[in-house]
Amino acid sequence: MASGAVINVNNTSKKFCRLLRRSMQYGIQDIALNTLGLSSQSQKLRKGEFWAVDNVSFELKKGETLGIIGPNGAGKTTILKMLNGIFMPDKGTIEINGKVGALIEIGAGFHPMLTGRENIYVNGAILGMSKREIDKKFDSIVDFAEIGDFLDTPVKFYSSGMYVRLGFAIAIHCDPDILLVDEVLAVGDIDFQNKCLNKISEIKERTSNVIISHNLNTIRLVCDRCLFLLKGEQIKIGDVSQVLNLYPQYIFGHDQDERYKSEHLDFEILDGNQLPTSKLIVNKEYHLKFTLKQLLAREGLLVAFSFLNLTNNYTQRIEIKRFSHIKNKIDSFSFTISFKHISLPPGEYTIKLAISDGDFLKRIFYLDRTLVFSVEETESSKFLDYVITE
Amino acid sequence: MRKKYVIIKVFKMDERGVKLYQPDAQIKKGWLSLWRQMFSELIGSRELIWRLFVRDFLAKYKQAVFGVAWALIMPLVMVGVFVFLNRAGVINIGTTDIPYPAFALLGLSIWQVFATGLTACSNSIVAGGSMVVKINFAKESLVIASLAQALFDFLVRIGLLVVVFVILRVVPAWTTLLVPFALIPLLLFTLGLGLILSLLTALMRDIPHIVTLLTTFLLFLTPVLYPVPQGKLFAILNRYNPLSTLIIEIRNLVIVGRITEPLRFMIISLFCLFLFLVCWRIFHLVEPRMAERV
Repeated sequence: MASGAVINVNNTSKKFCRLLRRSMQYGIQDIALNTLGLSSQSQKLRKGEFWAVDNVSFELKKGETLGIIGPNGAGKTTILKMLNGIFMPDKGTIEINGKVGALIEIGAGFHPMLTGRENIYVNGAILGMSKREIDKKFDSIVDFAEIGDFLDTPVKFYSSGMYVRLGFAIAIHCDPDILLVDEVLAVGDIDFQNKCLNKISEIKERTSNVIISHNLNTIRLVCDRCLFLLKGEQIKIGDVSQVLNLYPQYIFGHDQDERYKSEHLDFEILDGNQLPTSKLIVNKEYHLKFTLKQLLAREGLLVAFSFLNLTNNYTQRIEIKRFSHIKNKIDSFSFTISFKHISLPPGEYTIKLAISDGDFLKRIFYLDRTLVFSVEETESSKFLDYVITE
Repeated sequence: MRKKYVIIKVFKMDERGVKLYQPDAQIKKGWLSLWRQMFSELIGSRELIWRLFVRDFLAKYKQAVFGVAWALIMPLVMVGVFVFLNRAGVINIGTTDIPYPAFALLGLSIWQVFATGLTACSNSIVAGGSMVVKINFAKESLVIASLAQALFDFLVRIGLLVVVFVILRVVPAWTTLLVPFALIPLLLFTLGLGLILSLLTALMRDIPHIVTLLTTFLLFLTPVLYPVPQGKLFAILNRYNPLSTLIIEIRNLVIVGRITEPLRFMIISLFCLFLFLVCWRIFHLVEPRMAERV
């Protein structure tokens, strides 16, 4: 292992099986082979199997933080589980030097019937802490989790935020050399998320961290390097801003385009001067122009669309419009949604559009995550626009 | 040249404590060092086993009005039914050295260590839920903690036994004090089977049904609720049923005051130890394989 590296992932792959029955059968087969002392030949794919993680390599030094990004099913969690030793790789090797603390699912091992206090001891023990260690850190855990009066309440009565807070608090107190964090902070409120990120930044010096997040801002804030996965493959690893810039391009297949053209739909965003644009500025005037083509709507056209914030996956607003008079064959039909002052929070967006025939159930066309545009703030933001006077 | 790789779980620690994960560990990892690792992991999990036991215990009885009494209700009902059937002449139990209710309750209490233990053990990994796939810890802990649960129930039943013995004026032999040691082979037998069944349950959900079926039938085929019949047929059955010997001899310690077939008991005890070690080893080898399919 290279000097100073605490994690060394070397051409590692992991395969899974799509079908439950076949997976059962393979499982029994592998177990039988291993029991007899034979190799399970894991480097070969059998029928129905696929590489969930395919030939990934990276190294992490002490005190470094690596972010892993990628859409769902990219293999992020699988890598984390291999780093934690829950799964063995099917190809390649992983070397780990140090005590690993993993937050793959917060509150895994919590028993709903037990109180917060009892669960702290159980979960602490699962994470490898002794009773004395937990006793010593007990107050600090309770303090960090902010559960206060609920300490002696069964955790099944906790809100999901409290649940996550307690889980995170316990895990962070087991003093790992390597901390693995899956997308687990998303449940807590902003305050707590910040607190966790602060805590991670605080212990960053001593630990090496691997963090999975869909929140690119989090990655930008705490990570030194970033690994971008797509369908198990390592697309890029390197400098955070460099990798993050690649992200939309890969996810949506092309660079930020100003228009979208397809068989059934043309779509563009026009600014106040009727010019196409993909960069929007908060509080300015914009028109979203949709042209539907070659569609068949027997009972009248129903259009629903929403803005999806790609940074945090929030749906920003949903609009529904019924065009009852547009019926049967639609050769070409245009409509425009105009915003006098667009008031979306800054970020990367895409449009989700559903075209239905008469009612929502009869959807005839659906558009998702194709055209990406960004909303930027100018010097005058609605949210910061205030004056305090005496 | 084709390299020969064997086994999956791989924990090659060098002197700096580097863990190496790779597919199918090499056989040169060593037979003995794997044992060493298994034992050190087990010893390191003592605290966890205790916590898991306490957790399951609290969770089981917290919301139950009758609480621990449930450990008594099942054997009481069962023995009650048999006493009734015997008195009514539906079945003929034959004569027992001590009054039948005490005899049956004693046998059933020992039997339940195996039956409830095996059921709890085989369900333990699946009942562990997401922690099995989300946290890395010695999974044996879950199985052992489940067995401890069955042992605790046994302790509760001893309380009931004492009461019944006093009421029926039965005086147990002094060798009763040896029962805890005589229980060890039974526990190893249960744990061994439990470890393997817990893995299989994670893969195939048929196993719990099979376990229920087996424990129910074995209860009637093993001299638990009746003394050993004299027939030839039963003698054969008895010879191949390790549970028979284990239960009869533990019961004998209480009633008769000695182990009637020491050699047989010894051989079966060694068999139980061997079974446990083999099952544990297999469990340890294939446990990561199971984690990816559970």
